[in-house]
Amino acid sequence: MSATLTRTAATRLLAERLADEVVVTNLGQASLELQQLADRPLNCYIFGSMGQCSSVGLGIALARPDVRVVCLDGDGSLLMNLGSLCTIATQAPKNYALVIWDNEVHQTTGGQPTATAARSNLAAIARGAGVDKAMEARTEDELRGAYDRILSEEGPFVVSVKIAIGRTEGRLDRDVVGFTRRFVQALAAR
Amino acid sequence: MTDPGWAKHLADILRRNGIRMFATVPDYIVSHVLEHLTADAECRVVTVTREEEGVGLLSGAWLGGRRGALLMQNSGLGNSVNALASLNVASQIPIVLVLSHRGDLGEFNPAQVPMGQAAGPILDALGIRWIKPSSVAELEAQGDGLVKLAYTRRLPVAVLLPPELTGGKQG
Repeated sequence: MSATLTRTAATRLLAERLADEVVVTNLGQASLELQQLADRPLNCYIFGSMGQCSSVGLGIALARPDVRVVCLDGDGSLLMNLGSLCTIATQAPKNYALVIWDNEVHQTTGGQPTATAARSNLAAIARGAGVDKAMEARTEDELRGAYDRILSEEGPFVVSVKIAIGRTEGRLDRDVVGFTRRFVQALAAR
Repeated sequence: MTDPGWAKHLADILRRNGIRMFATVPDYIVSHVLEHLTADAECRVVTVTREEEGVGLLSGAWLGGRRGALLMQNSGLGNSVNALASLNVASQIPIVLVLSHRGDLGEFNPAQVPMGQAAGPILDALGIRWIKPSSVAELEAQGDGLVKLAYTRRLPVAVLLPPELTGGKQG
């Protein structure tokens, strides 16, 4: 079943609801999308280290249990670091949610299919890792419901969002050190 | 003779420099340090599935205001190289790496040797400052300064633990 949600629409729906949460974004499309739609000091863009988005967010959540942390990862990237789901389940931070933009391809490199295009299901893998609040969202209504939960209930959450294949146009601002310092200062002041 | 107190000295150096968050894929040698940390209610020790995951987690902890150290075997350095380069070095995020140095003097397992010999050159190639103290006296002389440098320079640093310090692992 091909997905109809776009990453742009899904990101915008989240951005509209953000208050003072931390958002950690995966390299490439996830970072570009959020930077273009809602750049803010509490966004933690990751520019490299494919696979590490969920782990960086987990570290922030453990260091700052008073702040809600939402990670925006990609299916290809999370597949590179599936063990992270086990650590998320074991540490079980209540202030943590991992959202995966799952378009079933490696988008940035030309759309080569990932394992989720075949038989693998990230929400099921997360449940198997021990994350009880693991779900899949395929429609805008399901996504709204998922956002309502991750922004108000205790986690940890894993939400696999089935989105359409497609690149977002534009160019990511890669002031890597500058964005990192801005984030550290904003979070310290929060 | 090695001083069996080396592990407590190292744990104390880390703690007195404000490090309270630890990630690990344990090995026989660093397990002696972990004993002191897991017994300390102020310290949080997270066992990760792969060392690179620990790099990401501790980088996040630093972004959130907490200092972290990753305890592992030098094989774990190999598993962590890309994250250290493209996250920590590129973004200037400090963490302290504690590496048991297998694959060097006295090694019994041929499979440990190539990574053991490569550990120093890999750290050098990444621009990561490292020390390899062969005694508790050397560890005490250099440890505080090394950790301080990490946060001054905002880059990772590494402590390699050679068998002269720890007694190594006997095959």
